[in-house]
Amino acid sequence: MSYEGTTVPRRDSPAGECDYCGHPFPTTDRLVLHKGLEHPQELDDDEEDAFLSVRADEEDELRTLRLKALGALVLLYFGFLMLYAIVA
Amino acid sequence: MPSLPDSDTNTEASEEGHTESGPESRLHNWVVSNTKLRLLIQFVTWVSILTLFTGTVAAGNGMTLSKQPRDTLAVPRWLYLATGGATIGASALLASFVTDRAFIRYLHNWSLPGPTVDDWWTPIRWIGHSLGIVVLGLAVYLGLTGPQLPTASFTILVTFVVVRAGLPMLTYLGGNVWPALNPWRGIVSLLPAGHRTYPKELARWPAVGGLLLLVWIEVIFPVSTIPSILSLAILGYSAVTIAGAVLFGPDAWFENADPLSVLFRFFGAVAPVKRRDGKLTVKLPGSDLTDSDLITDTSDVAFVIALIWELTYSGFITTQTGAATTEALVSLSNIGVGAVQIRAILIYTLLFVSGYVVFFAAYWYAGVLSRRRTGTYITAKRIAFRFAPSLLAIAAGYHLAHYTGLAVSLSPALGMAILSPLSPPANPLTLSPPGWFEGLSIAYVLIGHLLAIWAAHATAYELFSSRLVAIRSQYPFIVVMIGYTVISLWILSLPGATPPYLP
Repeated sequence: MSYEGTTVPRRDSPAGECDYCGHPFPTTDRLVLHKGLEHPQELDDDEEDAFLSVRADEEDELRTLRLKALGALVLLYFGFLMLYAIVA
Repeated sequence: MPSLPDSDTNTEASEEGHTESGPESRLHNWVVSNTKLRLLIQFVTWVSILTLFTGTVAAGNGMTLSKQPRDTLAVPRWLYLATGGATIGASALLASFVTDRAFIRYLHNWSLPGPTVDDWWTPIRWIGHSLGIVVLGLAVYLGLTGPQLPTASFTILVTFVVVRAGLPMLTYLGGNVWPALNPWRGIVSLLPAGHRTYPKELARWPAVGGLLLLVWIEVIFPVSTIPSILSLAILGYSAVTIAGAVLFGPDAWFENADPLSVLFRFFGAVAPVKRRDGKLTVKLPGSDLTDSDLITDTSDVAFVIALIWELTYSGFITTQTGAATTEALVSLSNIGVGAVQIRAILIYTLLFVSGYVVFFAAYWYAGVLSRRRTGTYITAKRIAFRFAPSLLAIAAGYHLAHYTGLAVSLSPALGMAILSPLSPPANPLTLSPPGWFEGLSIAYVLIGHLLAIWAAHATAYELFSSRLVAIRSQYPFIVVMIGYTVISLWILSLPGATPPYLP
């Protein structure tokens, strides 16, 4: 069963397909997240555990990303402050 | 709460069902922890940060631009453009802080139910269509027989101030009233229609072609200055529309092929007021831009890009830089054959088409890059379809920036023409908008882009199960949006001019 609007590149092999809707995913983490978000009622205990643990990992990575975004914002802000101080 | 089920994500309803269903479920915890209070606090925080940030930048630009001659900025132009682009980039960074799916869904599903309109719908349509038909008839008749002065002509004022400027504004700021006004629909409803089924493969391509053709005619022919020519154009448009709607049936024609109806339908997607299930519903502006059923074909994307490009193009050719570019290209193309006018028309057309292709290709390539960068199996086409509605907010911002001045300055003339359509005053009052209107235009462009950034963010969260992927998928689109903003802000900062060689 193929999921509408997705294609798998020829030299790529999907990490897995969703058992409930057939959506293929390149990594197991994304598949687990998808199952937890789209089919929360169908999950068994193992799948729920997996979902919660992947979700916790995702949360950690998001925290790093937020820090990077904050850094970028600060750089942008002070960069423009300097520019305005010099030019205008 | 009219939540729109999306094939990709669970909707509020399924989530609620889930929370009710199982005390045994540990998923329960994270769903319930998103209480209304937390949502409210987050909402207030992010809205205030966003408005504070954009407010200061927009106001800063506004002040620098309000000093009269349009070409003297208090800061160098590159810095002004960089600031505009950075505003978009910074708001994208800020949006990436909002990682709470429940909160995003809550914002996009929020709605206030209004009065039921279904009982009134038929009489409203009858009145609206009759009004539309009377105005259409008057416009054609007065254009041919009335005064041939643009600011005193009912035809020109109704076409450009009402249909070109005012109605789209009403549509994206309020709600789409065009289906109730559309005079051609009124006419066709009286005729036997639907002799052929509309070919599905054509999708919205006729509307894309129609929109581009209308804009091209607006640029090349003196439709905005000579009422009789405009009348002929309206007659031609009416003939095509009525013939098409009679042949394919009004529903199929106005849904797919009629450029005006498709334009108003798309602008209506940005609007806060909707008619849904027979009720008027108020939603947050732009919250329907995450709908997966708004853009279902490449032609829909082409139409949305055409909306952005036509406003950029007509802005550009009416600046001194645009005029100089055209003159340079026309003199370059002097190879000894063809009159200057013909070559000028060719150059205008070439600029129009090539710019459109560039805008479209840039957007499409962003979809391809988005797929490649995130390694997702979702096709680039589907990604492009899903992100395209957010561009409508940009188009609305451009439209408001380009047409507010026109609408305000010609509104007294329009009033006069409506009060006495047969004998309007020969020299009607036109207002000249104050200098801060320029600053307001910049604010409109930026607000449109910010709404688009938010809509893209929310769309990405609906499309991808991993939030990191959702954030990364937006980067190429943000770059394209920054590009569109910078071009638009650049055009707004250029001194105005009359396009050369045109009648």
